[in-house]
Amino acid sequence: MQIKERLQDRVFSLAASILILCIIMTFIFPTQFPTVENFSQLLLNLSIDTIVAVGMMILLISGMFDLSVGSIVAFSGGLAGYLMYYHDVNFLIAIVAGLSGSVLIGFVNGWLIAIAGINPMIQTLAMMGIVRGLALMLSGAGIQNFPYNFIYIGQSKLLGLQAPVWYMIFIVLMFSFLVNRTVFFRRYYFIGGNERAAKLSGIQVEKMKIWAFVISATLAGIAGILLSSRLGAALSTSGRGLELRVITAVILGGASLSGGFGKIFGALLGALFMALINNLLIIGRVSGYWQEIILGIVLIVAVGLDQWLIRKMEK
Amino acid sequence: MLRLRNISKYFTGVKALQNVTLHFEKGMIHALCGENGAGKSTLMNIIIGIHQPDEGVILWNEQPVEIKNVQTAQRLGISMVYQERSLVDSLSIAENIYPVQTPVVKGGLIDFPLLFRQTQQLLNELGLINLSPMTLVKKLSTAQKQMIEIAKAIAKTPSLLILDEPTASLTHSETEILFRILKNLKDKGVGIIYISHRMSELQNISDIISVLKDGKFISTIDSKTPAQEIVRLMVGRDLESVKKSSNVQMEVSLEVENIRGKGFRNISFKLHKGEILGFAGLQGSGRSAMARALFGDEKITGGKILKDGKILHLNHPSEALEHGIVYLPEDRKAEGLFLHSSISENIFSAQLKKGFYNAAIADDVSLKLCKLFSIRTTTVKQHLRKLSGGNQQKVVLAKWLAQEPEILIVNEPTHGVDIGSKEEIYQLLKYMTAEGKSILLISSELPELLFLSDRIAVMHEKEIIGILNREEATEERIAALASGIKTTKMYICK
Repeated sequence: MQIKERLQDRVFSLAASILILCIIMTFIFPTQFPTVENFSQLLLNLSIDTIVAVGMMILLISGMFDLSVGSIVAFSGGLAGYLMYYHDVNFLIAIVAGLSGSVLIGFVNGWLIAIAGINPMIQTLAMMGIVRGLALMLSGAGIQNFPYNFIYIGQSKLLGLQAPVWYMIFIVLMFSFLVNRTVFFRRYYFIGGNERAAKLSGIQVEKMKIWAFVISATLAGIAGILLSSRLGAALSTSGRGLELRVITAVILGGASLSGGFGKIFGALLGALFMALINNLLIIGRVSGYWQEIILGIVLIVAVGLDQWLIRKMEK
Repeated sequence: MLRLRNISKYFTGVKALQNVTLHFEKGMIHALCGENGAGKSTLMNIIIGIHQPDEGVILWNEQPVEIKNVQTAQRLGISMVYQERSLVDSLSIAENIYPVQTPVVKGGLIDFPLLFRQTQQLLNELGLINLSPMTLVKKLSTAQKQMIEIAKAIAKTPSLLILDEPTASLTHSETEILFRILKNLKDKGVGIIYISHRMSELQNISDIISVLKDGKFISTIDSKTPAQEIVRLMVGRDLESVKKSSNVQMEVSLEVENIRGKGFRNISFKLHKGEILGFAGLQGSGRSAMARALFGDEKITGGKILKDGKILHLNHPSEALEHGIVYLPEDRKAEGLFLHSSISENIFSAQLKKGFYNAAIADDVSLKLCKLFSIRTTTVKQHLRKLSGGNQQKVVLAKWLAQEPEILIVNEPTHGVDIGSKEEIYQLLKYMTAEGKSILLISSELPELLFLSDRIAVMHEKEIIGILNREEATEERIAALASGIKTTKMYICK
């Protein structure tokens, strides 16, 4: 591939930016940045976001998005915690319940959007409030004292990396393979590219849309379970603002709000890029207030630069 | 009035226009023709100020001018009717026609009574008496929208009017109204630049014809020049013409009995193997609705469809595909293409079999199809938006051929396609019938229908009003039937 095309490929340009950022940080903070602890912490922090971002990437590829994922994170952890704490339910059943609840929410979102024709923004915005309310009812001020088996899921370590990092790696690899190589997932690009043409190409757009919301909600549910297991607590405030952070990561990773673009690795790299900038600000002792300001600027610059590049190439 | 001298324009290495010198005069209809990519659009974009020439001079009434943007062009009196519609659906006809020069009362509020009066007057002048200025644009048919688009350009009282493929979505009768309007304007001294792919139209309406090829000006000729000569100038070679031949077999592949649905009713016909059954009719006569229903994209509320003697129930295009029925939609950009995907991805977008996708095999198959269809590209990884209209259309056709269909429904297959590609598409359709595939051809271009079809069904008011054999079909007969006139003399087999 030519340099020109490479530059247009966000996965490539983002990976290069991350590499450069890492090198610069190694030089500026040689004792704090390039350490195993720092990296394992950094990866742990981004694992929850990335798992949700994978589902969001699939939605954005097909031209939709889901604002309720942050609430689903709190809900699935809350439901599992509620069952374990108040009803002594076995931890596996509690997890299955949490995930099933998430699947159901995803299905309702998908059905109302694809079949009833409600706009995704409105539907998932409403669902965001509804599910947050449910999470509040379930976990109230927070639930603690989970069985050991449940805690183990999110707090065990393998090869120096925390379990959520491994789940994240597995999910990214699996979905990356599926989206690249299966006819089913590739259809999301066609739906995002031109929905009408997709239907006339024999693609069952409505069913596919419902599946996309179910997948995204399920991944958010998994993230919720992992988060409450890792924290050892189910908090009704978990995942607040997560949806926008995740959409930011996915857009940074090369997706477009109008659909048709994006790769699963882009979701990982987008989240990694954001985590690195956060890391930089923390190590550099920049005030917490600045973090969001800087992330906002980074998003605008990245997307603006992209648009500028595309226009430049077209000419 | 407008003189272009030695205009050149480059787009990163590509010479879009080279040394073009052209003169446009008052009170004259000047047709511009050339294949897609010949530089017509670039030239027009320069005249209306979207692009600036890299070299050359523009003279307006003998004064050198620099047309920096569309506003400058409008001040000079240059107005253009775009191929792509620029109307806002949720606003009224009047508001759409006067988006900028809206009359206002004191305080900047819109003077609606005056606006409506003004619009009504304009509509009357244009012979669109049955339209009210207050009607919302979304309630209009495609053809009516196109007429409003033209009204919008005329409302600016231009001294030079540019029309790019204005008749693409118009039917016969509306085209006639448009021609009357243009002749009127011409008599008033307005200069008109007319771009079209339709040869007969060019000769009918224009005074002189200028031909562009590969960004160069070829020549300006009298509009009475024989069509073949013009085509030769445009293409640079003689076109091998497709022989009028028939591959109809006895066997019936599709039988439709009395189907009805939204926009069509009482439709019955038999489609034989190797046959091309043409469908003529006015916009809104139900041809497209029927075609979509046969593809499972629209509901069928009664009647039955038999394929090879078996009843079909089609609820979704995917089911039609499984039965070997494919559909080439009317609006290529909106319904047929994935502009940001590559050629091979487009071709494999209709892959029915689930499972794993192998990009290498897809590219390989696509490359073969590109050769077979003479799709001009360097690589199958090329994105569709970078191809010309003709090549895009061939990609959509290739996609359906890759599915090995038995029945092809094609809706306006040569809409906005240049002459060279048009011939190639005709050859492809013929080639498919030779393979025993059946084709249902919907077209608003009568010569195309007459040339390709074995039989022609004419639709009027949602029904088939008559089916003509090849021998009895003439433009006049089809036009008469399409407007609902059945003469007793005519033999109608139904």
